[in-house]
Amino acid sequence: TRALSPPQGFPGAGQAPGAPPPGAYPGAYPGAPYGGGPYGQPGPYGGPPPGPYGGAAPGGGAPPGVDPEAFSWFQAVDADHSGYISAKELKQALVNSNWSTFNDETCMLMINMFDRSRSGRIDIYGFSALLRFIQQWRSLFQQYDRDQSGSISFHELQQAFTQMGYNLSPQFSQQLVARYGQRSCPPSIQLDRFIQLCLQLQSSTEAFRERDAGQAGSARLSYEDFLTMVVTRMI
Amino acid sequence: FFFPKYGGAPGGPAFPGQAQDPLYGYFAAVAGQDGQIDADELQRCLTQSGIAGAYKPFNLETCRLMISMLDRDMSGTLGFNEFKELWAVVNGWKQHFMSFDSDGSGSVDRQELEKALVNMGFRLSPQAVTAITRRFSTHGKITFDDYIACCVKLRALTECFRRRDASQQGFVNFQYDDFIQCVMSI
Repeated sequence: TRALSPPQGFPGAGQAPGAPPPGAYPGAYPGAPYGGGPYGQPGPYGGPPPGPYGGAAPGGGAPPGVDPEAFSWFQAVDADHSGYISAKELKQALVNSNWSTFNDETCMLMINMFDRSRSGRIDIYGFSALLRFIQQWRSLFQQYDRDQSGSISFHELQQAFTQMGYNLSPQFSQQLVARYGQRSCPPSIQLDRFIQLCLQLQSSTEAFRERDAGQAGSARLSYEDFLTMVVTRMI
Repeated sequence: FFFPKYGGAPGGPAFPGQAQDPLYGYFAAVAGQDGQIDADELQRCLTQSGIAGAYKPFNLETCRLMISMLDRDMSGTLGFNEFKELWAVVNGWKQHFMSFDSDGSGSVDRQELEKALVNMGFRLSPQAVTAITRRFSTHGKITFDDYIACCVKLRALTECFRRRDASQQGFVNFQYDDFIQCVMSI
């Protein structure tokens, strides 16, 4: 495989919100921090001190800074009223265009992204940020889904990658559609797995980049290094 | 375990003695005309075979992973020989799991998982072990199915690396494209 060359001009600049500057690696990551933290805006993730919103707030209003709709959704999803949502509860709340619930791995990935407490669960603030995150991804997904079929085909995926600044072979896209797509004819990718594969692409690319001292598109990895990199980011 | 009525199944046995192979019965029972099994069929096949024993049988995602581990032609399905290979490997992992699941509860804890992995010969950094145990455990426990999923991923990554380590020194010079394909196909 040939060495990476910087993308011509800046592919994706018009498409991917908050696109970072060009480099040797594709860098347009929708969903990457849009200025401010991963929640898309500087926000009180530390949360206000427990007050009237500490614990379950029966019929209470949304906490400051939280969209009321997100709050009522949170309350509906937080089935056990613990004040936290687990990956399992989250799964029930998120659906694809074909009405299937989001897959376990995507739910887990997203919980990890918005879980500051490292407890495997998110509170109302994390949830509210997660909803904004999904909304951004959903609009991007809809842009790439040119024929509005509700899922992304091989060709649409190739175009999406190009717009995001990736320079990946058609064979690779083919493999990804086979791996992440539903078994329809032809296979295509729903929103949940699209998010999953983009996040994993981004994460693996970053991991590789960290080890590419010369920024030339290659890295010398030991077996242990390789396993650690992949396991901590992919799994 | 031989199902005589499947003696003439998909185009008939591909090699002499295949029909007598007890595994062929399970395989042929779910394989269609093409003599290949996909993730759903693999799940059924493994469940019927009782390989999970007293443990909960594999979920679909684990089956999908198992196929990708052995799916050399990238077809998304397994032929009988690949299935046989899978069977042998999974049996080995099962024996291993059982040896750590001393109370037969169907799950092991994080320390036992770490011991099991080291025992299998995986040299993993502490961060890797932490990441693995965090990803594969539910409430501090790792079930048989999750354990299999973990083993499949580690084995697939190991094969990926080894195939590129021509001199067997434990180092590979990866090009970005190759790395990303390797990693995303697991």
